[in-house]
Amino acid sequence: MVTEFVFATVQYDSGDWDSAPLVPPNIIDSVARYTSIPVQPSGVTVPLAATELFGYPFAYLTGHLPVRFSEQERANLREFVDRGGFLFIDDHNHDIDGAFHKTATEEIARTLEPLSELPNDHALYRAFFTFDDGPPTTGHELNGWGDNLVHEHLLAVERSERIAILYSNKDYSSEWGYHPENKRFLSVDNTRFGVNIIVYALTH
Amino acid sequence: MRSRTEWRRPVELACRVVAIVLLAWALGLALRPDSVLSNNAQLDAEDLPEALRRWATGPAPDSVHVRLDSVPEAPWRDWLVSLRRTGSAVGWSGTLVPLAIAVEPVNAPAGGARLLVAGSVGDSVAVRDALGPFDTLYLAGNGGAVRVPALAEPAHAALGSGWARAVPDDSLVPGAVLVIGTAGWEARYAIAALEESGWQVDARLTIGPGLIVRRGTAAAVDTARYVAVIAFDSAAANESRRLVSFVRAGGGLVLSGIAARIPGLRGIAPGQPGTRVRPAVVAFTAETPRRALGFYPVARPGADAVVLESRNGNATIVARREGPGRVVQLGYDESWRWRMQGGEGGMEAHRQWWSSLVASAALVRGSRRDLSGIPTGAAAPLVAVVSALGEPVPRIESPAALPGRAGPHGWMLVVSLALLLGEWTSRRLRGAP
Repeated sequence: MVTEFVFATVQYDSGDWDSAPLVPPNIIDSVARYTSIPVQPSGVTVPLAATELFGYPFAYLTGHLPVRFSEQERANLREFVDRGGFLFIDDHNHDIDGAFHKTATEEIARTLEPLSELPNDHALYRAFFTFDDGPPTTGHELNGWGDNLVHEHLLAVERSERIAILYSNKDYSSEWGYHPENKRFLSVDNTRFGVNIIVYALTH
Repeated sequence: MRSRTEWRRPVELACRVVAIVLLAWALGLALRPDSVLSNNAQLDAEDLPEALRRWATGPAPDSVHVRLDSVPEAPWRDWLVSLRRTGSAVGWSGTLVPLAIAVEPVNAPAGGARLLVAGSVGDSVAVRDALGPFDTLYLAGNGGAVRVPALAEPAHAALGSGWARAVPDDSLVPGAVLVIGTAGWEARYAIAALEESGWQVDARLTIGPGLIVRRGTAAAVDTARYVAVIAFDSAAANESRRLVSFVRAGGGLVLSGIAARIPGLRGIAPGQPGTRVRPAVVAFTAETPRRALGFYPVARPGADAVVLESRNGNATIVARREGPGRVVQLGYDESWRWRMQGGEGGMEAHRQWWSSLVASAALVRGSRRDLSGIPTGAAAPLVAVVSALGEPVPRIESPAALPGRAGPHGWMLVVSLALLLGEWTSRRLRGAP
């Protein structure tokens, strides 16, 4: 039996780390639905400052509020990345200059290095489904539902030519924050990019 | 006309003079320190080079006995062998330190070498290379070993006056490794460990029915490209026939976790995965890190299987040969935790562990090095001395015991006696006193 993939949501001291509780079950559902990767049916929450973090090589971090890591959280994040962990950070605001975005990117720069733009032809966009135009836009970006504030690229910190931290301010946390059973109402499953992220983390 | 008596007198005088000269010559030879006349040279090791040079251009003694306080270098040893072959008896005595060293190149991209030292149990042997010392080995019953990341040849072992010196016999060319498995952390971090160790890794990671993420080239499973294949689970089932052929052609196969349950691989697997055993401890330690890992014990190992590691009577790593190839079966299926949760040093230890495992199974591609310029016998010099000169003896026996060897002084005595006897007889026959 292959070790099951466990979707871990990161709990950090500042901000609202639990702002998107429906994202983990929805992505877990998609991974189970589209792939043969063994996946644990329910996700876990793991404190960023705890050593338990290292038991979950894939971790998801989100929120709306300003982020300020403690020294222990910074140390753990640094070690997590150095050992080969993958952290997906999503700005639940999808702002350009919002509180989460400003503070989270500053924290990443302080802890590791500044985030860089991920090219839209990166292997991430072909890891399972193919996204020719780079990161799929969300309903919160597009005019009509959203504010037409489209972010063209995702950001990343890379280690040894692989993504160690993937940063999005496209607000996938809102886009994927619904009950998995409601996917049947969508003409195209908008969580497919979440599958790419998981498959990429497991294969690169 | 001279009478017969007058004619005899100068002849008698000549015989007397020649006999006296010969006796004086023999006396002179007898008084030399390394008396050839005595036919038995006794000398210390430090005098050996000078004596050998002298004997190479002059008469050699019938017997040579060398008192050794250290093992002589190959040229002096070979010179003594040559001396023996020209008819001199050669022996030696002394209490020499038995020491031997071997150098095995590591079959991994990072290279390096494994030094194996043999000697007396309990000895502490200093090991160094051309750049300086790097370790002291305490020799147990099976000797001692140390792995060095890089070696400036040759490798030396030293203990008191004992020494040994060696270089690797082979130069190895590591090849690529193929990883086959379902996408997951175990395969993902094994690949990372191997790549960080310098291995070229291709991977086929299954993510769905008929969906495989390929990394590297899409080469066939054969020894032309790969030296080893790692199978993590049933994702390798479709390749089982090729994997068997690969091993029988000399390739290495590592079966991790439950991969040995693949029906097509059972014939070459060292054993079968049993019921999973939980980790013995919660936290990783530097001394016994794998006690914090769960594993599938390798049950029912074959008669030709070798248990390389076990825990509480359960085999965790077992290996066997299949023709020229090797198969290593790992019980561990979550070694990635060692890298992520192993604390300081865990990542490096996990990396080295995977690299060593693959190296131990991998096909060895290489060539014998040209060692023509390297003295023979240096790796085990005492053995070389005993092989060449025999066991140590207190001293050489009487040279008279040597077959077919007449000393250079023998003819002098015979001729002198003959001349004196002839001179005396001549005088008596002519009535002189």
